[in-house]
Amino acid sequence: MVLGMVRFGIEFVPREAYWKTIYYAIQAEKRGFDNLWITDHYNNRNVYVTLTATAMYTKKIVFGPGVTNPYLVNPVVTAQSIVSLNELAPGRVVLGIGAGDKTTLDFVGVEMEKPLTSVVETIEIFRRMMEGKSVTFEGEVFKTKGTKFNFKTKEKIPVYVGAQGPKMLETAGKIGDGVLINASHPKDVDYAVDCIKRGVSEAGKNLADVDITAYTSFSVHENLEKAKEAAVPVVAFITAGSPNVVLERHEIDLKKADKIRGALKTGDFGQAFGSVSPEMIQAFSVCGTPDMCIEQINRLLKAGISQFVVGSPIGPNVRKSIDLISEKIIPHFKK
Amino acid sequence: MAYQKIVKKVPVEKWEKLSDKLIDFLLKSKKEDKMPSGLANTILSQWQQGSLTTEAGLAALLEAAVLLESEKTMELLEQELQLLDIAKAVKEMK
Repeated sequence: MVLGMVRFGIEFVPREAYWKTIYYAIQAEKRGFDNLWITDHYNNRNVYVTLTATAMYTKKIVFGPGVTNPYLVNPVVTAQSIVSLNELAPGRVVLGIGAGDKTTLDFVGVEMEKPLTSVVETIEIFRRMMEGKSVTFEGEVFKTKGTKFNFKTKEKIPVYVGAQGPKMLETAGKIGDGVLINASHPKDVDYAVDCIKRGVSEAGKNLADVDITAYTSFSVHENLEKAKEAAVPVVAFITAGSPNVVLERHEIDLKKADKIRGALKTGDFGQAFGSVSPEMIQAFSVCGTPDMCIEQINRLLKAGISQFVVGSPIGPNVRKSIDLISEKIIPHFKK
Repeated sequence: MAYQKIVKKVPVEKWEKLSDKLIDFLLKSKKEDKMPSGLANTILSQWQQGSLTTEAGLAALLEAAVLLESEKTMELLEQELQLLDIAKAVKEMK
């Protein structure tokens, strides 16, 4: 892969007032980011409202939900939302779809039933509706009876599949235009790319046909300690949510991870954040001064990613960090 | 309109710093609910057009900062930027 071809994306969690997220979205576009991803959780601002505002206030950045799920939003409504967004910003919209987050779904009382099948069927319905056809679909999870838009759809909209486990990664390689991997370390990207390759090969595609996107936990500051300090809370949550197989891959002490899990459960954030080790920061974030981040991004590129997404926390001061990435990091890759 | 009159008195060499500081106050503010959506949309449009360091942009930012972070804004005007006339005019507006 040509290292210079990397795309830079940025992820925002719309937990703050819409105008703050949109301020950052405009800033990201002005500062040279290619893609913008908005997370979809019922307890934050609505993803499509945020994306609509993004469409209205930006001109060239490519954007989409990163990621939505088939459980809280029916595939037909997802298709309708994405196609409508594409009317506002033609050619700039992508769909990011994954199985969702079990913890969030538990709150809503929704079962994460057949995650792989649900995602595959959603993509099938989405693509067929996008073609403007009447869709009758008899899936294991979803069924439609002649659903069709009362308006014309435009061009093909790329689908990115949010994937973690081996089967979902393989499927993502097979049917996705892109894959979103929650990974900040080359070991995790290596593992994911191997799985994606199997799917790509099964579909008779080339690996270059799939935009392999690393969704990272990112924190940059000229002062390393400040960058680390901002990364710690996010790393604590990632560590707590990681299965043992992932923790072992990074040689992280399982007992230490358990200690963090326990502290987070009881709301003892001081204990949880205080238990985050340098190994955890290294495994689960891209964190440091601009030069250190460049080095880490280079390693991810060598592992096979084609899009690097700057995700939470971005840095101790989001606005200043976006400027720093634009001034010191992106130019290194886009000479 | 009133804020636009006030910012006319800000020396041009202080526009950039004032704009930068006010944006920081707004983005870090926990009092988001005090921001009127019309004013937020004005700020976003001006940001998109690159005019947050113009008189119109500064007026919108100052109005929002006074609503959300009054104390910090007054401190910035009076102490850091030494814009005592501006601070006085803002106080009279409140």
